[in-house]
Amino acid sequence: MTDLAFDAIKPATGSNRTLWPTSLRFGLPNQKLLPWLLPITILTLWQLASSVGALPASILPSPTSVFFAAQRLILSGELQGHIATSFSRAATGLLIGGSIAFTLGLSNGLSRLSERLLDTTLQMIRNIPNLALIPLVILWFGIDETSKLFLVSLGVFFPIYINTFHGIRTVDSQLVEMARSYGFHGFQLFLRVIFPGALPSILVGLRYALGIMWLTLIVAESIAAQSGLGYMAMSAREFMQTDVVVLAILIYALLGKAADSTVRAIERWSLSWHPAYRKGGLQ
Amino acid sequence: MNALPQVSAADIKGAAISIRHVGRSFASKTVLTDLKLEIEPGEFVAVVGQSGCGKSTLLRIIAGLDDAYTGKIVIESEGRDTASARIMYQEPRLLPWASVIDNVAMGLGPDITRQVALIRARKALDAVGLGDRGSEWPHVLSGGQKQRVALARALVSRPDVLVLDEPLGALDALTRIEMQQLLERVWLEEGFTALLVTHDVVEALTLADRVVLIEQGEIALDFKVPFPRPRKRSSVPFVTLEERLLAALLHTNHQPVDYVI
Repeated sequence: MTDLAFDAIKPATGSNRTLWPTSLRFGLPNQKLLPWLLPITILTLWQLASSVGALPASILPSPTSVFFAAQRLILSGELQGHIATSFSRAATGLLIGGSIAFTLGLSNGLSRLSERLLDTTLQMIRNIPNLALIPLVILWFGIDETSKLFLVSLGVFFPIYINTFHGIRTVDSQLVEMARSYGFHGFQLFLRVIFPGALPSILVGLRYALGIMWLTLIVAESIAAQSGLGYMAMSAREFMQTDVVVLAILIYALLGKAADSTVRAIERWSLSWHPAYRKGGLQ
Repeated sequence: MNALPQVSAADIKGAAISIRHVGRSFASKTVLTDLKLEIEPGEFVAVVGQSGCGKSTLLRIIAGLDDAYTGKIVIESEGRDTASARIMYQEPRLLPWASVIDNVAMGLGPDITRQVALIRARKALDAVGLGDRGSEWPHVLSGGQKQRVALARALVSRPDVLVLDEPLGALDALTRIEMQQLLERVWLEEGFTALLVTHDVVEALTLADRVVLIEQGEIALDFKVPFPRPRKRSSVPFVTLEERLLAALLHTNHQPVDYVI
């Protein structure tokens, strides 16, 4: 009889996750398209404004001219080259900074001695805006690869360090006691209890780190580089190529979204035990 | 219900526990003072007492979770080199990121191949009536089911001693009775020595061979429960004993009340 009651309040068309009655959802056949509704609307309005001349090309080029700029740069191979350069800088910086941060987060989370020794120093460094170091970094490393890697590594370091540390410290001590009572200690205890317990927090750190990674890299490339997306945008500015500048900005948005989706996919896969991360669960 | 197997001497494989002059202090507070208790192999002992009397502390010492005590505790099991004690907590303490069967397999410790562990875990899950739930995540189970998984985890290594720290305290009344029956059944089947801390006088009298009342760190009362199993909670001798134990716990010293309508 409860089944009957539930059936009665379910919307007729399957999904019961929305509060909207069926009539209002008419015309939105696919929930997956919903997030793209707003960007597409903005793009359409933008194109219209450019076509009727309300938006001068020197201020903001039309979407179609941005598209043609992209086509031109792809055909010449320039765009792929810049994206590949930026991507490999971002990945290398993330790998270096992230692994140092993860190691120190583990070490300080697991050992009080290590925490007392290092945490104060790290907290002091954390409060320096990493982009404020650009002049010093240029003096140290010039404008070659090392300076960008240094800045990106430093940028991704703190979100990962702090969240790893916090994740380890907040692992349920009752579970740790339970595992110890069953003979788990050392690496086995870490692998079975401490690391999975800290993982949700570590992944939050990774997500923040990816945002900071792009931000730091683009700024660093704008100021001191001879290749990469940031360089492409800055040199386009000098030649008044607003279409290329806008193209670069759009690519940042897409890369940011791609990075975020990657971490979400990792979360869904590795935290499938967590009620909040299952597909269709709370987001 | 009355077809429960009777325990014969040959079946007993539990360990004897000898608690000799055990004391434990936290900072300035003495929780246990010179406690002496001998528990026979396979005996089911309930430890009752008011909150803060030291019963959980005693349990944690016996389970090996606390070694800052004075005195000596000897756990011996005939025919075995080492006696093992397992504890069941008030909370299920299941790993939320491990499946139900992997949680049970944890009870076998880290040094066992996964294949063997899973076979034994499956048997333990069957014994608590959850054999078909092995592949699920713990968070989909009800409170009573989670405690049954915790029981399977505690028993999968076939310990000599099972120490229970109010494991049924957080369950609703019906689930509690079911769990008490399950506990009694597995205890009769497995023959381990059981030590149960509880606030619930009826639970103590339903399950235990012997009830020990701890007061201010010392044993104030120690008696055997003479009723045959399975016990009827509403029988006159049971209720009479229940009221006397409750009176001793609460210091009311009332004789069984003469009810007047």
